[in-house]
Amino acid sequence: MLRYLGGRIGQSLLLLLGVSVIGFALMHLAPGGPLAVYTLNPTVTAQDIARVKHEFGLDQPVHVQYVKWAFGLLTGNWGYSFFGGRPVGGIVLERLPATLELMGSSLALALIIGIASGIVAAVRRNTVIDYATTTLAMLALSLPTFWFGLLGIYVFAQTLGWLPAGGMASTGGGGVPDRLRHLLLPMLVLGFVLVAQWSRYTRSAMLEILSQDYIRTAEAKGLRPMRVLLGHGLRAALVPLVTLAGLQLPLLVGGALVTETVFSWPGMGLLFVNALGTRDYPVLMAILMVGALVVVVGNLLADIAVAVIDPRIRLTHV
Amino acid sequence: MTMTAAFGRRQLLAGGAALATLGTGRMAAAGAAGQCVLGVTQEAVNFNPLLYVNTGVETSVEYIVFDALWQIAPDGRFFPNLAAEIPTQANGGISADGRTWTIRLRRGVTWHDGTPFTAADVAFTLETILNPKVTVRSRNGHDHVAKFTTPDDGTIRIELRDDFAPYMVSWQKTSVIPRHILAGVPDINTAPFNTAPIGTGPFRFRERVAGSYIGFEPNPHYHLGAPKLTSLIQKYVPDQQTLYAQFQTGEVDIYDLQGIPPLLYSRASKLPGSRVLLSPSPFVEFIYFNCGKPQFSDKAVRKAIYMAIDRKGWIDAVYYGVPQPTLSYLPPNHWAYNRNLKDPGFDPRQAAAMLDAAGWRVAADGVRAKDGVRLAFTMSTTAGNKSREQAQQLVQQNLKKINVEMTIRNMPASVVWGDYTVKSEFDTLMVGWDPLLYPDPDYTDRIASSLIPARGGSGSNYVQYQNPEIDALCAKGTATIDQAERKQIYDRIQEILLDDLPFAPIFAYELVVGVKDRVHGYEVNPYTPINSWNTGTWSVS
Repeated sequence: MLRYLGGRIGQSLLLLLGVSVIGFALMHLAPGGPLAVYTLNPTVTAQDIARVKHEFGLDQPVHVQYVKWAFGLLTGNWGYSFFGGRPVGGIVLERLPATLELMGSSLALALIIGIASGIVAAVRRNTVIDYATTTLAMLALSLPTFWFGLLGIYVFAQTLGWLPAGGMASTGGGGVPDRLRHLLLPMLVLGFVLVAQWSRYTRSAMLEILSQDYIRTAEAKGLRPMRVLLGHGLRAALVPLVTLAGLQLPLLVGGALVTETVFSWPGMGLLFVNALGTRDYPVLMAILMVGALVVVVGNLLADIAVAVIDPRIRLTHV
Repeated sequence: MTMTAAFGRRQLLAGGAALATLGTGRMAAAGAAGQCVLGVTQEAVNFNPLLYVNTGVETSVEYIVFDALWQIAPDGRFFPNLAAEIPTQANGGISADGRTWTIRLRRGVTWHDGTPFTAADVAFTLETILNPKVTVRSRNGHDHVAKFTTPDDGTIRIELRDDFAPYMVSWQKTSVIPRHILAGVPDINTAPFNTAPIGTGPFRFRERVAGSYIGFEPNPHYHLGAPKLTSLIQKYVPDQQTLYAQFQTGEVDIYDLQGIPPLLYSRASKLPGSRVLLSPSPFVEFIYFNCGKPQFSDKAVRKAIYMAIDRKGWIDAVYYGVPQPTLSYLPPNHWAYNRNLKDPGFDPRQAAAMLDAAGWRVAADGVRAKDGVRLAFTMSTTAGNKSREQAQQLVQQNLKKINVEMTIRNMPASVVWGDYTVKSEFDTLMVGWDPLLYPDPDYTDRIASSLIPARGGSGSNYVQYQNPEIDALCAKGTATIDQAERKQIYDRIQEILLDDLPFAPIFAYELVVGVKDRVHGYEVNPYTPINSWNTGTWSVS
């Protein structure tokens, strides 16, 4: 187990290194750059641009810039935002709680509703409930997030006036109920696609397991149906689902970019979209690394969890 | 099955009840007494008035927290703010040769922390702008300064290296920063001040909630009178549709930058409890011709293209009739706009005749050519800009009718506005730009023959326009202080430009701004990039 763990951690570190090199290279080699903001501003002269370029260190070769940046990252100096003039660490970290709140609640929603509806659909397969869940899930999977978000705002904020049209809280604070009201729509929008995925996966995993001999044995022994379903059925279905949780993280991070923009949710996704527009390299790289870290660690945890649940996996690596 | 169905229904009911309970708190914070919420679609992140790059939303914070020596009113007149009076040649503030400026400052002004404001602050601001280590976005004309002194606490004397009448605008666009806070800071670029500013303005900076809003509280000691609002919020809502929804529900009182999408203009004007205003902007939409390319070195081609384009159709079909047509690089409401310019009009037949006369004959492939040069070119702008893409198709159709072939070649913003523009690699561009030191009408930077970057110049004459008469007029314009005299010079410049057409002016942008009826004192100012120039006099009922 320890060897397995060590191997996976080693892989993860290599992956992060790869992400940083590719991300940095792509960002710097793409045409244009942070100085385009100045070109667009007619009040900035060519000399001003050259001066700013030197001050930002952008006149040095890309590999020198990378080494400086990577060394800074390891020693805890993440650099300064080109346009905010503040340390990048602070800029990114102050956005993290908002993103975690949105992602966490959406994931929780997806787990509860997705697994429950998947089980129900599997147990009642080929009934109205099954078809209804399947149709809803396909609908959710094919709807673009931004469209669904705008629809939600139109119906619940503009037309019915039940919920606020974006933001994380009313200006000047607001208590827990106020924050919940703000959370509801973005959480549903971001969670909807995940619910659909969980529902589909749970359904097919359960279908496969429910036809196994040991389920029939358990039923024949006279166990209560709930016990058979959850104790024997769901438990066996968990292995692919835990892997799915790991695989969903990139989807969640990507979905957060769009959802945060539509709902002006003050998280890292919104910050990333902004920084992308101005090519604020230090901020972009920091968010990229935090995002990569979340995905890599999430997948690592999922792999470990699978190994714990399913002895066959860890045994093949011993 | 009945079990699950019942469970489902109960769950649904519970959900509905939860929604209803949450709904009762609606608009609890919006419309709070004395509070005004200004909605914008971009986030202000740097509040140092010398360092920020995001003109508009960051200018707004500048206007709210800081002061310049003088301001500009909606009618184009300057009025004193930190200065005691506007310097003129008549009152001795400007020397007879126009090169020595003696500015007397207002007494009794204090910074938000109580420290008195003096001439040392103005001198420090100028030092910071000229310091090569500080990443100021623009020197705003202060690079014409030779030296400056502070004869006493209430006076600053500045000597210019050369004739530079637009210097008046330099100080209208330069907010003064506090010396006592920033003089000892090791690196101004990363000073904490940049996100926790201290100014002399009508409001004090209270808080910034990253990604959400910036909160301001009134400065009761403000030298132009204490503000009437008890709280001012600049709220950041990135999506235009979402901001519109918040304006509709009352979560936002003013929808300013980037303006309500023109598509929603007629719907917005019918919203109850609010009004919709058109806010003129300094940005003029152009077709930029690269005069260095063989197709465009012939003035007849540029004029024929201008005449073949249905500009009114462009404004009406793509922009819902909101922008103002203009024949100059200035918006039609500007004091220096030449009202006698003659519109060549939309006349494809005459355009074709002009090309025939100039020797551009229709060849076998259906496209005009002359001396082996085909009258075919590309037009570029930011990829993904829907309105511009529609306009390009319209222009393409217009030009096809006079046998001119135009190909659309759009690129991401950071590419098209990089070397492709600066080094004049384009054929034509569709672009919206404003003058260098707007609202000053000086346009030297874009039209003087010595300022072509592709030929080693340092300006932004990307169209590679060369005309000795224009060069002489530009020099005369910046050397003349008297406004009436300057008006004549710029009238002539605009007349020549409309005849030469190095760039084809189409329209001046206007923003559709939404204001709730409860807000009073909000006034559109065509000379400022955002309308928060007079927040000190705003109030809510």
